[in-house]
Amino acid sequence: MRPGLSPSLTAMLTSPGWRDVVVLGGGADPGPRLTGSVVALEVSVHPEPLDGQVLVVLLAGDHTDWRIDALISRASAAGAGAVLLAGVEPLGRGAQLLAERLQLPVLGCPDPLAAHEHLRRVTAEPEVVRSDLVLRAVSALRRANGDLASVLRTTAGVLERPVTLAGADGGTLDGDPLEPEERKALVAALPRVPIGWAAPYRVDLASGAVLIAVAVLGVGPVCWLVARLPAVVPAEVAAVPEVLSVVAPAVGERLALRRLELERDARQRTSLLGELLHGEPSEATRRRAVDLGWQVDGWHTGIRIGADGQVDVAGRRTDVVEAFDAEGLQAVVVEQGDGWSAWITAVSEPTATEVQEQAATIRRVQRRLVQTVDAYVGVGRVQAGPSGIATTLAEAGDAAGLARGRAETGRFLHVDRLGLAQLLLAWTRTDTFQPAAQALLAPIKDQPGDLVTTLAVYLDTESSVAETAAVLGIHRNTAAARIQKIQHLLGVDLTNPDERLALHLASRTTPVE
Amino acid sequence: MTTVVKAQDLQALVVGVTLLGSGGGGDTGSFGRMLRRRLGDGELVLRDPADVPDALVSPIGVVGATSVLMEKLPSGGEFDTAVRAVSRWAGADVTGLMPLEAGGLNGLTPLIAALDLALPVVDADLMGRALPRLDQFSWAVAGRSLTPCALSEPSGQVIVVDNVDAGGLERAVRSFVAHTGGWAVLALAPTPVEAAAADAVQGSLTRALALGRAHAALQAWATPADIADGLGGRLLASGRVEQVARHLIADGGAAFGRGSVCVVDSGSRAVIRIETENEYLLALVDGTPAVTTPDLLCLLDRRTLQPIAVDAIRTGDEVLVLALPGPTWWRRPDRLAHVGPEAFGLTCAPQLLEAS
Repeated sequence: MRPGLSPSLTAMLTSPGWRDVVVLGGGADPGPRLTGSVVALEVSVHPEPLDGQVLVVLLAGDHTDWRIDALISRASAAGAGAVLLAGVEPLGRGAQLLAERLQLPVLGCPDPLAAHEHLRRVTAEPEVVRSDLVLRAVSALRRANGDLASVLRTTAGVLERPVTLAGADGGTLDGDPLEPEERKALVAALPRVPIGWAAPYRVDLASGAVLIAVAVLGVGPVCWLVARLPAVVPAEVAAVPEVLSVVAPAVGERLALRRLELERDARQRTSLLGELLHGEPSEATRRRAVDLGWQVDGWHTGIRIGADGQVDVAGRRTDVVEAFDAEGLQAVVVEQGDGWSAWITAVSEPTATEVQEQAATIRRVQRRLVQTVDAYVGVGRVQAGPSGIATTLAEAGDAAGLARGRAETGRFLHVDRLGLAQLLLAWTRTDTFQPAAQALLAPIKDQPGDLVTTLAVYLDTESSVAETAAVLGIHRNTAAARIQKIQHLLGVDLTNPDERLALHLASRTTPVE
Repeated sequence: MTTVVKAQDLQALVVGVTLLGSGGGGDTGSFGRMLRRRLGDGELVLRDPADVPDALVSPIGVVGATSVLMEKLPSGGEFDTAVRAVSRWAGADVTGLMPLEAGGLNGLTPLIAALDLALPVVDADLMGRALPRLDQFSWAVAGRSLTPCALSEPSGQVIVVDNVDAGGLERAVRSFVAHTGGWAVLALAPTPVEAAAADAVQGSLTRALALGRAHAALQAWATPADIADGLGGRLLASGRVEQVARHLIADGGAAFGRGSVCVVDSGSRAVIRIETENEYLLALVDGTPAVTTPDLLCLLDRRTLQPIAVDAIRTGDEVLVLALPGPTWWRRPDRLAHVGPEAFGLTCAPQLLEAS
């Protein structure tokens, strides 16, 4: 008998080796500490002093027999921790009352010898329990094929306990999910930056359950291999960390392999997208696009999702795809630089309403992503054909660049809705917005009195009506009236320097006949 | 010592033999009434063997299912028939009677027979209490033959059995009663009183009368301990019957109902378990054997103090569990083996009260 190895009865009853053991009478929570196990052949046994050990009786035919009562009395007098009888038939009323009175738990089990052997090992030979579990884990892992899930399943099978692969935030990556309060306790106990050689962490929960966590160090972000033990059986609590330490590298390896696949796919997608962005795609490029399930023809809406901070672009792609799927959008998502490029393809040209609705949906996608990634999103205009992908993605890229610094728009910009200031800023970087600039001046374009030229001249002459009139060779009042009309049609205030500047630049992009 | 029984003593005698029945021995009430009718204003003398030195006595009583006896009543002629048959076979007239068994209704039947046949009754019997089997007769235990003997059943059929040991007689009797009326009167051979009494328990009926009188003197509001003292026994518990379990076990052809009664003492909450067959056999207090056969275990109704038989005890009854000393005749170790718990298949050493 060794000190510190005695589990409580309640803990033992959760132990896999005692799966078949049931309480027939005198049960209490947490029950006595069981210091060991002594086996007896028959109910007529007169035990030696037991000192908290369980008296296991191999032959106990009739649980209602008076000899059971007598045995309970003798076992109690000998100081037994509990009595374990062969068979699970209920006790007689007298034996139940007696067990309660003497506070001696009476247990039943179809295979008492196995229960005896298990308890003896747990209380006397913890190193055997440990090496047995480790060896079984190693040999089971050798047979476990392939994926991460099967490694976790195998480990859970060997330990006969739930096993979870948890992220640094306690979220479940694979295996049996943790309860919210378990998750909270786990995160509180684990360090932010794990040390590879650190001993496994033990987290004692208020419920009496224990979480054992071992860091899985690999290529990706840190994660934790966690086993949940419903109660403290000291030998098991000592053995499980060893098993997890053996399993952790295998999990790390599976994670690295999965990572490798992700990276390979990502590179394939990125290179294909690179080819699509450079002019009309070749036959070979089109075929590869079809292989990946990309639709090259049709009407495309480009989306650029940028992420601030260190983001695992390849690893998080699944999150992005899932966010689109969740909003019902069939998007192609490609890792690019510090974010993702994506586009949605429609067979026919979408109407203005459809475009607006789609933009709103993309906004919801962003809201989903924000929970895990600090994302900013730009959306391009609808463009047709294979080359349209490049165009709309370029627009989206520009919009994303603007969206990044604009918290007031929720870090989301749609090219169709760009304001004057953004248009101006974009124009300074790219000619993407030239058509938009033209659209800005469209209200005054076909008006009588050459309002576009008047505006250009007016702005060029530092908003001087007299100068404008002189340059254009018209009467001063005519010039003033035209300026009034321009302001009215455009709905702008030409005394506002921002708007004036935007219109000034726009008028420069519009060829003046 | 000679004891005289009159009508006013009958109630005490009935209760006394019931207590000696230790929960078995059959329903004494009807035979008590039968005896009262026969006795009328007369008196019955329970004789000391020395008082009738020349008598040839025959131990007599009812064997078989005593429960059937309540449905199939005696015709009145069975005792006479059995005594005549055994006298004829033995070639000597029976000139005295003694009970086979002092506990239960067989403590009363020889008295009825004695009144009917006008024979003296010797106060000595072969059990001193109630026991279920013929090999538990003191004669059989002491090595005296039980045969020849005669059995007569209510429809008039008679058989005489001879040249067989106690076990063989047991089988013969069981098969006879099983195939006829369920019960029969058994009369053993007429035997010189000195020899008959030498291997018998003496004074059981006198003790029954004393017990009954002590019982009559009890008050229901007395404390359980006082009641036990009044009867000269030990109190095991006073409380409610928590469970009565009964099951049949086949035991060498004869099936006895095995069962157990669980009582929780209302004061100490001690758990008392009483193992039963036809009688209360073994009492465990908190799992420890406390009292066994051949001492007497009696369950008395807490309110009326009437003894409750094994087949009448029910869950929910409020009872007193008492142990009374059994016949001293059985206390010798060689005799004890025949009536101790082991004789009933209970693997437990006999636990007897301190000899008084």
